[in-house]
Amino acid sequence: MRNYESLYIVHPEVVGDELTALVDKFQKVLGDIGAEIVKLDNWGVRKLAYPIKKVERGNYIQVLFSAEAKVVAEYERRLRLDEQILRFLTVRLDHDFPADAAESASSTSAREDDEDTADEDEEE
Amino acid sequence: MAYENTGRSTSSAPPRRRFGRRKICRYCADRDARINYKDVDSLRYYLSERGKIVPRRISGTCATHQRQIAEAIKNARQIALLPYTTSHSV
Repeated sequence: MRNYESLYIVHPEVVGDELTALVDKFQKVLGDIGAEIVKLDNWGVRKLAYPIKKVERGNYIQVLFSAEAKVVAEYERRLRLDEQILRFLTVRLDHDFPADAAESASSTSAREDDEDTADEDEEE
Repeated sequence: MAYENTGRSTSSAPPRRRFGRRKICRYCADRDARINYKDVDSLRYYLSERGKIVPRRISGTCATHQRQIAEAIKNARQIALLPYTTSHSV
């Protein structure tokens, strides 16, 4: 088992229940193919550094999980199939998960609405 | 004779002179700091105004950390946290 961190960008027009369903879908994908999810985090809608598919903003979802190497290939294949996923990146963590990740996978996707404005000041 | 040779070395390759203070690598100075592709604010320090990765001879980073920084910046670009260039057409 190796530790991985996956970050994917969801189309900003996917909100509310749709977003929850989408995130759940990929959580389930991970679970079904034998990954152990450590943390799920929604960063909210942020401005992208450059437009992807003519979209300027995106909703960043971060997932920390540990799994076998071949799980990642299948997971990425599924991400690639979904039109609502603008971009994804999976990196292997050489070390253990950061301490704050241990508080489990419950800090989820319900906050995307109020973060919409809070994230503005992060940009230059 | 001892003009400061700012351009690339001339044909006779004069001895290279270093002027100014040697910069130190931030990540060597601070061992606790980790290079992470999500840490956009620290990585921005290593980008030029046009979004290029600043070379080691300018930033003063050590070789090990320069490699890690470059890797992190490339990851961050992939996931649209950092720009490839400032002139991305909208």
